[in-house]
Amino acid sequence: MTDTRLIHTVGADALEWLWAHRDGFRLEPDADPEVGFLERFKPVGELALICKVLFREGVAGSRQAWLARQLLDHAWRETLDGGAMLVRGQRTEPLSPIPFEVYLPFRELGYNRPEVERAVALNHRLDSWQAYETPPTRRLALSAFQRRFGLTPRPPEPEALRPTWLARTPEPWTVEGHIAYDITHCVFHLTDWGENPGGLPPDIADYLTTWLPAWIDDWLDLERWDLLGELLVVDACLPRPTLDEPAWRAFAAAQRPDGAMPAIRTMPEGDEQAVFDVVYHSTLVAAFASVLATSRALTELSRAS
Amino acid sequence: MEQSGTSTRLQAAVQDLASGVVSVLRGGDHTRVVLTAGTEGEAGDLALAAVRVLGADAMLPGLLLAIPPDPAEVAAFRKAVEAYPPRADAAPTVRWSHWGMARTLQRIDPSSGPPDEPGAGWLDEAGWQSLTHQLAVLAPLALPGEDCAVSRAAVLRPVDVARGFVRAVRRRDWRQAAGAGRWLTLLPGVPDTLGLESGLNFVELMGGQDPQVALHVQAARLMRTGARL
Repeated sequence: MTDTRLIHTVGADALEWLWAHRDGFRLEPDADPEVGFLERFKPVGELALICKVLFREGVAGSRQAWLARQLLDHAWRETLDGGAMLVRGQRTEPLSPIPFEVYLPFRELGYNRPEVERAVALNHRLDSWQAYETPPTRRLALSAFQRRFGLTPRPPEPEALRPTWLARTPEPWTVEGHIAYDITHCVFHLTDWGENPGGLPPDIADYLTTWLPAWIDDWLDLERWDLLGELLVVDACLPRPTLDEPAWRAFAAAQRPDGAMPAIRTMPEGDEQAVFDVVYHSTLVAAFASVLATSRALTELSRAS
Repeated sequence: MEQSGTSTRLQAAVQDLASGVVSVLRGGDHTRVVLTAGTEGEAGDLALAAVRVLGADAMLPGLLLAIPPDPAEVAAFRKAVEAYPPRADAAPTVRWSHWGMARTLQRIDPSSGPPDEPGAGWLDEAGWQSLTHQLAVLAPLALPGEDCAVSRAAVLRPVDVARGFVRAVRRRDWRQAAGAGRWLTLLPGVPDTLGLESGLNFVELMGGQDPQVALHVQAARLMRTGARL
């Protein structure tokens, strides 16, 4: 089994980088309407979902838990202006589910913005929201988020799961980059972003247990660190995680001394914002994979003792 | 330069030989592979070496389709077996490939006597990636009913070989994928979700212009539809 300290250090360093570069999580209130104001909400939503896991898991260490909470505070107060930006986004595109998706993890940690709540409750009653066209994995995400919000998921999650790629457990040799991201995100939503590994239906857990090692080997070889990190999250969500040693060693070796995780092969060149936009996601994923794998490794240790 | 020229000619001879085998396996015009190892001089040496490189599969149509062996072909095959014994320090795959040829010779002519099996302990230590690679190199040993140390090692690890098949397809290593797929056709316990039959069709579509890929795919197809030795 992989050294738990190595796994833990990847996440601790990633979180330091995210804290040092927190201003990179920025909105663009004057964005070109063609691009859309809501485009830049995605990184904030991912930051919140993952920091929430970091904060909750309790294995990250006191410094990491503190940093995670500080990052959430920063994102809520500074980036989202106490939620005012979510309201503005919702008024710009009333039917967009993005403000709801970004709001949810904050709400679960006690942040609150009543105008967003009212809009979510109204949208949830609209047929248009249920008919809103999305790829199947996103539809599953919306149903899961509705449940987490306390609403009745429309459609119910088992129904939303059915048309996803993963639910059909197709030929594993057809998996390429886009499909692999559909797989990882389907697992994220089924497990509430790793908080509930038991959310994986047994047939999907079996399928992933069988084929995940082949995919990890492949994207490790291609040095696709962003996707490899997500696959390592999936591993940590399985009933018996492998905590694949060659993959974790290479993942750790790819990380820069300042904690940044390149998305593909090595760090890109360019100004600070451009570099941030390329590597923030892989660095967040590194923190995410690290905290879940550390948690699972410690669980295994306590079982063995 | 001469070395690489010889190597290129040998590769071409191996591909020609493999094409001939594929053609017979597909039930094409040829009824037998024309082994020209009886030819004298450089061409004869090259043909003989090509038989050694392709290994036991040079005689595969006779075995899988139960075509009576052509005495001239058997003689050429025997000559290749005898001309290239493995060196004392040869890699396990080389020793096993030679063993596979000797075993085939014995199937055709039982008076030859059974060859001694080399050790297969190196496969027990191999991770799934390496296991699949080694088995693919030894795909000529993947025959219905064959019971040797290599096939026994493969039978114990169907999931590992299936993962190796996925890896080989992802890497577009069609020869390895075809060889692994040929083994998987014979192994019990391969996960249904692999989609082996479609997988082999895909490997043929993508890499079948290489006769050595086509050979393994066609062999797998015949074995799946019940070909026996």
